[in-house]
Amino acid sequence: MLAGWRCGACFTLAIWATLGLAAVPRERFQESLIIRPLHDGKVSSQFSFLTSVQDATPRNPETLGLEDDSQHYTVFPLALGQILREYAITEMHLTLNAGKWNYDQWGYPNEAGVGTGAELWAWMGDGGLATVDQRWQGLRNALAGLFCASLGSLDEQRTTSPVLTFAPEGLLPNWTRPHQLRHASLPSEHVCTENLTPFLKLLPCKSQSGIASLLNPHQLFDADWHGMGVHVWLDPIEGVKVRLTFQSVFDPVRNSLGGRRDWSFTSIFGRTIEKHCPVAQTSSIQIELPDDKSYTLSPEPTRVDVNIALFDLVNRTEPFEAAMQWLGEATFEYPLNAGDLSHMPLSVRRTLRGSSQARGQLSVVLTNNWPTEMHVIYLETMPWLLQFYLHTLRIYCNGEPCDHLISNISYTPPVPHARPTMFQSVLTVPPKTTIYLTIDVSKSFLRYTEHPPDAQRGWDLPPAVLVPLRVRENQTIDQGTRYPRIYTPILLVDLATPDFSMPYNVIILSCTLITLIFGSVFNLLTRKFVVVQLDGPTKDKNIN
Amino acid sequence: MTSGVTIPALVAGRLLVSLLPLPDALQHDHQLSSPLTSYSRLQEGIYLFKNGIDPYSGGVFRHSPLFLSLFSTLLPTSRVTSSILWTLCDAVGALALIRIWRARQRVSSSSRDGLIGAVYLLNPYLFLPTLALSTSTFENTLTLLSIMFASEGQISASLLTLAFLIQLSLPSLLLVVPLFMLLVGDPVSRLASPAPISSDLRKTIPMLFEFMVYSIVLVLASTLVSGSWAWIPNTWGLGLTLPDLTPNPGLWWYFFTEMFDHFRPFFLVVFSVHLIIYVFPICIKFQHDPLFAAFILLGILATFKPYPTLSDPGLFISMIALFPEIYPYLRHPIVTTLLHLHASLLLPLFHHLWLTQGTGNANFFYAITLVFGVSNGAALIDCIYAGLRIAIGKGDGFEVVQE
Repeated sequence: MLAGWRCGACFTLAIWATLGLAAVPRERFQESLIIRPLHDGKVSSQFSFLTSVQDATPRNPETLGLEDDSQHYTVFPLALGQILREYAITEMHLTLNAGKWNYDQWGYPNEAGVGTGAELWAWMGDGGLATVDQRWQGLRNALAGLFCASLGSLDEQRTTSPVLTFAPEGLLPNWTRPHQLRHASLPSEHVCTENLTPFLKLLPCKSQSGIASLLNPHQLFDADWHGMGVHVWLDPIEGVKVRLTFQSVFDPVRNSLGGRRDWSFTSIFGRTIEKHCPVAQTSSIQIELPDDKSYTLSPEPTRVDVNIALFDLVNRTEPFEAAMQWLGEATFEYPLNAGDLSHMPLSVRRTLRGSSQARGQLSVVLTNNWPTEMHVIYLETMPWLLQFYLHTLRIYCNGEPCDHLISNISYTPPVPHARPTMFQSVLTVPPKTTIYLTIDVSKSFLRYTEHPPDAQRGWDLPPAVLVPLRVRENQTIDQGTRYPRIYTPILLVDLATPDFSMPYNVIILSCTLITLIFGSVFNLLTRKFVVVQLDGPTKDKNIN
Repeated sequence: MTSGVTIPALVAGRLLVSLLPLPDALQHDHQLSSPLTSYSRLQEGIYLFKNGIDPYSGGVFRHSPLFLSLFSTLLPTSRVTSSILWTLCDAVGALALIRIWRARQRVSSSSRDGLIGAVYLLNPYLFLPTLALSTSTFENTLTLLSIMFASEGQISASLLTLAFLIQLSLPSLLLVVPLFMLLVGDPVSRLASPAPISSDLRKTIPMLFEFMVYSIVLVLASTLVSGSWAWIPNTWGLGLTLPDLTPNPGLWWYFFTEMFDHFRPFFLVVFSVHLIIYVFPICIKFQHDPLFAAFILLGILATFKPYPTLSDPGLFISMIALFPEIYPYLRHPIVTTLLHLHASLLLPLFHHLWLTQGTGNANFFYAITLVFGVSNGAALIDCIYAGLRIAIGKGDGFEVVQE
């Protein structure tokens, strides 16, 4: 009897606890801005808006046919939440970037996803009513609508599944069937104001207050490099997290009259922070301090951690503006050396060689900047219009063939008009060594309707992705320590074009020739041969 | 016997040329090898096959699984050995052509043997694809072997080579009917005295059965080698669906590059059926001389097949040497020769101008493929005319016209 009463009490308590958690999900919103003055006079900035929903879990695709839990959010972006629930997305990363991230000069970015153009990858559970590919299609169309970007073009002609390179950042729930990865990139997509406006709408304070008020499209899209990102993942402790980021690299030297590298919020963003966002639990600005000590920073930071100045905006009431000046420097002298390369494990160059429109050669030059051996996951995803000839894959190091440096090759050949190529492998780069990788490619000939309107411009090819790994002895590739991804610059391939004004002419000319031969052949085969006497009466002699 | 000296000398000469470094530049030429016959695609397929990737899962490898099994096990794939293999294959083709000639003339050797061998071995349309290591060389040799066995009455050998040929190239199905007629008849020239077919056509039924057995065995062997049925749409299906629009000297590629999407299936059917239309009229008209019917159908294939290379018209042109009796009746041999000369000189030039130099556009190459089509068609029509006209003979005081 006593045991039964206790059981009932526990049950009631459990229900109350569940209801309480479900009714008030503990949402947190944190914002931060990281500013880094760079070696070459430029200034990189990264806005990051992190929203987490405590105890929330991604939707299991098995439940797609059933009624979903109602969604009540206070600061979590509802528009995004609905998409994630509708297509049962566990983890998703969308980046829209413009420009070429210069790793050798700027080092690693704060956000790894800096590939030019649009890139979308998602980990999704399998099973349920809709297949992974149907949900992937739904996801990209929904995101295309949400962010006003041509993500609908990330179709099956661009979609691959490079699981080794794009490992999940968060936790994948242990459902009955394993998760699947879908990845696609569209290098010709550009990011502009129409993408930033919906991005700002996802923030609880829009661009009215807090750090987000610095997101001024006039200044951001004037930057040398700019890009936005949306990242959703499942944190094992803190539940579902969404991170909205905006990165840019400004060039104060270009924009100042005297060629100085001084910068302030007004000079690079054109705005200051008037008031802080009331729902933000933390709101911090971090400014990385340069190695040369000749600068002055205003105002005085709340705290200085080694070489990072920290400002806390939560309790600040007056408008905030930070500025950095080099008072003793009349004009900025561009450094002549490439800077210290040792902050990047790898330097990469990728080019497409050959002047022919029928074939060429892809060449990748990898330099290991560190004095230790490095393993690198190397991923190429190519639209089907470029076909690899894997038997021509060659690697040279120190002027000699080193084909043994490549291993773990996984390759999906392209299908014309349908599926892209995916080439994934692991390269071993000896310490302080440059390796040269070449592979012959052939360029496809497209139907005239498949060419873009500006066909003579060529086709943008997606960047290659490299993931440096530190693998100790008796470790496998999967267990190695991963460094952030490195994206190569994109390539432009010149494909042969037909004459776009000719379809009718070609149909007419080709058909004329065929009917001419057809007609002549059947004329000969069907009509009788007759002998005509040149003098005297006609005498027919028939054959057959 | 001149062929005893000429042929070995020619083969030796060709071997020498094939071992020069020149072929590397030719290997990627679109006129010498199509996606179905390209050597680099063959190597790619073998590489994928050896590394455990299904070569038919993508669109690069279009060769028959028979090539895959042969080259990944028995035959060598190094540059030098391949050159030797391809040249020897051409030599076999030349010998087969000579034996067809002997069978047609019913002699064991003739003074023309050397000439016929030379016509095959020195034909640039056949020579250059061999240098480019295009597998069309194998197709041509199998075609000639199949006709040779049929002419000599070796039924099983002929049917087996024909089944192999169709494995490599589906359009060769056109040759089935004339070859069966040749098997039940004989290759002797009766162009000058046409008569209704006298052979018993019912004898073809067991042959057809035998041919089906060979074909099914080869299809099953191909499936076994490649591990799935995926090779069928990737090899045979290619000529029917034309997913690869790589330029070639034929008429299909630019037509389907420029085709409106909603008409594409219709015209694909029209172009494929168009090839079949010729088979029965030609076989009925030349029922007295099935070898000539096979020759004319090879001309049709060379002009109209989906992925032709120069070696297809090359085979047709070299086979003209088998029919010296029609030469006096050709209406415009000089014009046809000059057309061919014109087209074959401008084909590589315009191809280079369009794709490498960038100073010409696609219309340049398209225009010259049209001229090439005209010259092939002219040769074909002239041969048909001469093959029919010979029946009346030459004489003074009369002219032959068509009613």
